[in-house]
Amino acid sequence: MPAATDSAKSDPFTDEALTHLDAMYGVACKLTRNPTEAEDLVQDAFVKAMRARQQFLAGTNLKAWLFRILTNTFINKYRRGGLERSVLDGPDADPLADGWVSASTMRQLRDSETLALMPLVETEIRNALDALPAEFRLAVVLCDVEEFSYEEIAQIMGCPIGTVMSRLHRGRKLLQRALYNHALSLGIVKGEERVGDRPGERANHSAAQSGKPAKTADLAEYRRKRGAA
Amino acid sequence: MTAHECRDRARMLGSYLDGQLETSKLIEIEEHVEECDGCREEVRLLQAMRASLKRVVRGPAPSGLRDRIGNAMAAERSRDEARTADAGIAANGSARRARLRTLVPLATAAAIALMWSTVPTGGKSNVQKSSVAGFGDDLLAELVAEHSQPLPPEVTNARDVRSLERYVGFPVHPANFERMGAHLVGGRVVPLQSQRAAMLQYIVGSGDNARRVSILVYDAEKIQVGDANLSPRAVGSAEVRVGREKGYSVAATQRAGVGYLLASDLDPDESAQIAALAYDDR
Repeated sequence: MPAATDSAKSDPFTDEALTHLDAMYGVACKLTRNPTEAEDLVQDAFVKAMRARQQFLAGTNLKAWLFRILTNTFINKYRRGGLERSVLDGPDADPLADGWVSASTMRQLRDSETLALMPLVETEIRNALDALPAEFRLAVVLCDVEEFSYEEIAQIMGCPIGTVMSRLHRGRKLLQRALYNHALSLGIVKGEERVGDRPGERANHSAAQSGKPAKTADLAEYRRKRGAA
Repeated sequence: MTAHECRDRARMLGSYLDGQLETSKLIEIEEHVEECDGCREEVRLLQAMRASLKRVVRGPAPSGLRDRIGNAMAAERSRDEARTADAGIAANGSARRARLRTLVPLATAAAIALMWSTVPTGGKSNVQKSSVAGFGDDLLAELVAEHSQPLPPEVTNARDVRSLERYVGFPVHPANFERMGAHLVGGRVVPLQSQRAAMLQYIVGSGDNARRVSILVYDAEKIQVGDANLSPRAVGSAEVRVGREKGYSVAATQRAGVGYLLASDLDPDESAQIAALAYDDR
C-alpha cells in the first residue's frame, strides 16, 4: 500500500526535479524558439518524469535524466522524424574550414575585459544560436551552458559520443561564422581573405589573390601583409 | 607550425576547453596552445562564446510555471497512486490479474527515457549498456488513462489517418471502424518504446449521447498483449477479448499481424462489436 506521506503536497522527487526547472526552461526555449511552447514542453517533460520516476535510479544523475526526457518529448511532439538529419555527410557539407579567420580577428570579436564576446557581437549570438540546426543547437547548449559531459550529452541526445563531438564542433564553427559576419557588417572587424583554406576548397570570398592558391597563406605572412596595408 | 597542422588540432580545441581530452592529448594541446597565437585566440574565442551563451540562455523560468508544474506533477502522482491502489485491489481478487508486460504505456515519450543507465559524473567514458525497464505493468490502465485524457489528434481526416501507416509500418484502416454510428475524429502516432503505434479516436452518437472510442493499432508481431483480465468471446467470425477498466470498456483483437486495443465510453458489448470490425473488409 502507498506510504503514509501520500497526502503531503510535495514530495522529495518533485522538489529535487524542480531544482532543474530554470535550466530545463532555458534549454526548452532554445529548442522550441518559442517561450509559450517551451513552458508546455517543460511541463510535459516533468509530468512524464513523474510518471516514470520508478525507472529513475536514485543516486544517479537526475538532471541528465530529466534532460533526456525533455529532448525525447521535444522530438516526439515537434519533430516526428527526429532532430534534423545531420548535414555532416556529403562532400559539400563542410563549408567551414578551421583557421578560416586570423588570430587578430578572433581577438577583435571578444571583449578582453569580460571574457565574453563584445557586447555588440553578443546580441548576435542569440540569433545565431536560433539559426543553428536543432541538433547542433542542443549539443552546444548542453555543453556550453549546462556543462554536461560528452557522455551525458550522448545519452541525452541518444547518439554516440563521436557524434556529440562533431555536432559541437560544427555548431560552434557555425556560431563563429555568424558572429564574424555580423562583426564584419558592423565594421568591428575588417574583411580578410580566408587563411588556411582547405586544399581544393573554393576560396569563394577570397580577395583577388589571382594565381595564388589559397592554402599557401599562413598567419605570419597574412599579418605582415595586413600590417602593411 | 603550419596552418594545416593547426587545422588538425582545431577539432581538439573544443574538447580541450570542455575538459574532455585524454591526458596525452591534453598535454600536446596545452603545449601547442602556449606557442600558437591562432589556436590560443581560438580557445579564447570559444571561452568568450561560452560565457555569452550562458548569458543568452540562462534565466529564470516565468513566475507561475513552477507552481503550475508542481501541481501537474502532484496530479500525475495521485493518478498513479490511484492506479496502484486499483491494481492492488484487483490482485487480491480471485482472478489473478495477468499483467501486460510487453506493451509499454502509450503516448509517453518518457518511455524512451527508460533506456537509461547510470551516468558517471566523472566524464570518463565507460558507457554502460542500457537496461530496459518495464514501465508500469498495467497496459489497460495506461490505455484508459490515454482514453480519458486524450491528446489532440495529429491528423483528422481518414486519408491522412490512413497515411500514418508510413510512420508505423503496418496498414491502418480507419474506415473499418466507421460503422455503428462511429465517426472518425482523428489519429496520431504514439511511441511504444522501440515501436510506434497509431491511436485512432472516434465518436459514437452525438450531443449528450456522444461516446468516445480510442483504438490503438499496433504491430502484433512485435508487441504481445498478455492474457490480462479480458474474457474471450466470438463476435461473428472475430475473436475479441473484452473487459472493463476503471469504468471504461476495453476490447482487444488482432488480425493479419495487426493488433487492435480499444477503450471506450460504450458498454463492453458495443466495444466488442466495434473491435470486431477489424475483421471486416471494406
